[in-house]
Amino acid sequence: MKKALVLLGCPEAPSQTPMAVYTACKLSENGYEVTVAGTPSAMKLIEVSDPEEFYIKNKIDIESCLENLEENAFDFLLGFVHKDAAVSYFVTFNHILKTESLALVFEKDAELLGKFEKAVQDNTDAKIISARAYHNPTPLKVKFDRVIKKMEG
Amino acid sequence: MSFCLEIYLQESEDYKILASRSGFKDCAKLIEKEAVKVIHVNPGEKILGARIIGLPPVPIGINEETKMVMIPYTKPCYGTAVIEIPVDDEELARIKSVAID
Repeated sequence: MKKALVLLGCPEAPSQTPMAVYTACKLSENGYEVTVAGTPSAMKLIEVSDPEEFYIKNKIDIESCLENLEENAFDFLLGFVHKDAAVSYFVTFNHILKTESLALVFEKDAELLGKFEKAVQDNTDAKIISARAYHNPTPLKVKFDRVIKKMEG
Repeated sequence: MSFCLEIYLQESEDYKILASRSGFKDCAKLIEKEAVKVIHVNPGEKILGARIIGLPPVPIGINEETKMVMIPYTKPCYGTAVIEIPVDDEELARIKSVAID
């Protein structure tokens, strides 16, 4: 079975948790075994959102995941990028894994959004979904749906 | 036992924080400007027992005289910091061996 890693950033952006559950669901439907990596507080939000582990079965702390990560350990990397630190984490995970990657870049400030998008573009060969979003996950969801549909095809 | 940066930062006071809660690029510039000697490594390289997080090439400042290294240190919710910590000869040699310069 193909393996996907969903990399969460700082959980302060409200769109992240519902989109993490949504992307994990869609990737599972596409035949991936999904693991979600995040900070303890990001994982707590996931645990409460999906108490029966219906959508997210595998969870790992971001630091232990990074420490033991090896090239091609996952077939697909999906990262939430909405802070400067999240850009650094995504680029680092992408460089270690050397696998197909997708960055979900979102921010409410257009200038910061452009800056994060450019940093990911300049430092990885990842596909990028970029949207002005913070509370409302819909702009990200719509764009993610287009990408996942192409992956199905 | 090999050096572990996380434990060192928790248990020791022998380090300096030169910048904190900053962006990676500003921290990289600070290292390039302030360090006596700068080497560059790939993101994900293990330095001082921790994976280096950042955009390539990641600068590491080295002072061979004082045996100090300057590294960027990133946490998801707190951004990037620059810390300067003492290292022994063995660790210094290991850091230099993974340089991409």
